[in-house]
Amino acid sequence: MEFAIKKFQDKMTYRLDFFMGIVNTAITILVYLCIYKALYGNAGEVDGISYSMVATHFVITLGLSNAFHYNEMFLQDKIRDGSITNEFLKPVSFTLRLFAENAGEGAFKIIFHFLPALLITLLYTKLCPPVSILGLPVMFCSVALGYLILWLISFIIQTWSFWLFSVWGIITIKNVFVSILSGSLLPLWFMPEPLQKILSFTPFESIYFTPVRIYLGELSGRELLFALAVQVLWIALLGVIASVFWKKGVKKLVVQGG
Amino acid sequence: MENIIEIQGVKKYYKIAKREKGMLETLANLFNRKYETKKAVDDISFSIKPGEIVGFIGPNGAGKSTTVKILSGILYPDSGTVQIDGFIPYKQRKQYVKHIGVVFGQKSQLNWDLPLIESFELMKFIYRIPQKEYEENLKLFIDLLDMEDFINQPVRQLSLGQRMRGDIVASLLHSPQIVFLDEPTIGLDVVAKERIREFVRYMNKTKHTTIIFTTHDMQDIEKVCDRLIMIDKGKKVYDGSIHEIKSKYANFKTLELLLEDGSKELKTFDISVTPMSAVMEQLFSEKNIKDITICESEIDDIIRDIYEGRIVLDRPETERN
Repeated sequence: MEFAIKKFQDKMTYRLDFFMGIVNTAITILVYLCIYKALYGNAGEVDGISYSMVATHFVITLGLSNAFHYNEMFLQDKIRDGSITNEFLKPVSFTLRLFAENAGEGAFKIIFHFLPALLITLLYTKLCPPVSILGLPVMFCSVALGYLILWLISFIIQTWSFWLFSVWGIITIKNVFVSILSGSLLPLWFMPEPLQKILSFTPFESIYFTPVRIYLGELSGRELLFALAVQVLWIALLGVIASVFWKKGVKKLVVQGG
Repeated sequence: MENIIEIQGVKKYYKIAKREKGMLETLANLFNRKYETKKAVDDISFSIKPGEIVGFIGPNGAGKSTTVKILSGILYPDSGTVQIDGFIPYKQRKQYVKHIGVVFGQKSQLNWDLPLIESFELMKFIYRIPQKEYEENLKLFIDLLDMEDFINQPVRQLSLGQRMRGDIVASLLHSPQIVFLDEPTIGLDVVAKERIREFVRYMNKTKHTTIIFTTHDMQDIEKVCDRLIMIDKGKKVYDGSIHEIKSKYANFKTLELLLEDGSKELKTFDISVTPMSAVMEQLFSEKNIKDITICESEIDDIIRDIYEGRIVLDRPETERN
């Protein structure tokens, strides 16, 4: 927790970074909104999905994916230059510390990049209001769970740097997969039916799409509980895989230099 | 007294991918990789009692740092047992590291951008050091290591000697009972080295800290350590006091010969085997000698002779197979 706060304060110190972050988030969102506005033209609905639903979808997914972006090369760099030794000499769990730092950064960006960008977007277009006030806390829970899934996927790949010299390529490929399959390029509503079926068996759907659907009120009652349970299930599964890789990797560790 | 450090038959092998030269070989390498096993640590055993200062030496690449990394819980040994202060370092890392302090002379754990004092504050917080203990230790260390002047400077502006002192303090603030110093005097001038040696001795005397000290500087060992463990090619080759090694190998004399043609030669003899007179007689009959200097067997020379294979040590009793 203290590491998260520390990272939070750290981020506050860079002013330029702060403003660029807002601009960056706002521009990404606005570009997508323009494209989809053009695609919709005068049509009120496509496949039963209205333009404002799509707009809302993009504001949430792009805002979050910008916020949830962090340095995924941390472990690899530490292994590469050998400074992993210093990390291992501290009486703290490396994994938890890494998570705390990344989550701290994420929280910072949601508050200081996403929210201002959201206000800018609201000047440009109308969004769907949340279905109910009660839905919001549930959505936040779901966002947090989605973040955990995303973080675990990234962490699993990061642990591969114990074996591989560089994981940059794999991380890049992973990020492409995540952005396509989680619906942050093309909303999953518009994906072909069979692909949607397949995706429902992958963790990608749970990252951004579940929170979006909760916000839009597409899920309710048992469906809602089921979606949350799926998220939790993925976290458990990925958590187990991550800890196996981590434990094996630590045994395998080769300290470079000195 | 009970041993505080007990290690038995520890091994650590690395697999190194063999690379061959040439385009074709590199391509072939992609599909069929050949590996070489490097025995970084090969069956090392020793035990250390509380309050000892042990010098740990060996030529470059002998496996010193790897051993220290195993002892400090960073690396898993491939086989063998390690028991330190009731812990198995690599298994109980989080608990264990609270009880030890480690300095890697070649790697700083200080934050590059922060003033030294901030890094210390961070340590206080990470190790949850009580405020009183922290203040006492910090004051003592600053006095002993004469750090008043640069405590508020960012680490990147410090000289190597200042940074090293900072690193040592950072790793001792939580009053560890066991301290591993991996080349703490590397690249330092004589004064800075002396200051660190004094500090290490002081810590050992007043706080009974057990210290393992790796270095390439024999002066460090002579002035600080009671005991010497020497390893080479991953194996322990010597374990005993410094006096012992000195008296044992005092019989080895090194002669520096200045020949008529102006070139120099070094010769080492065991005068208990060939007496000095015989050595001289033989040399004078073989070569045109202008001058001879007899070099006293300083510890440096003895160690050099051992590294270069001119002196063959008796195999210590731990070597079974």
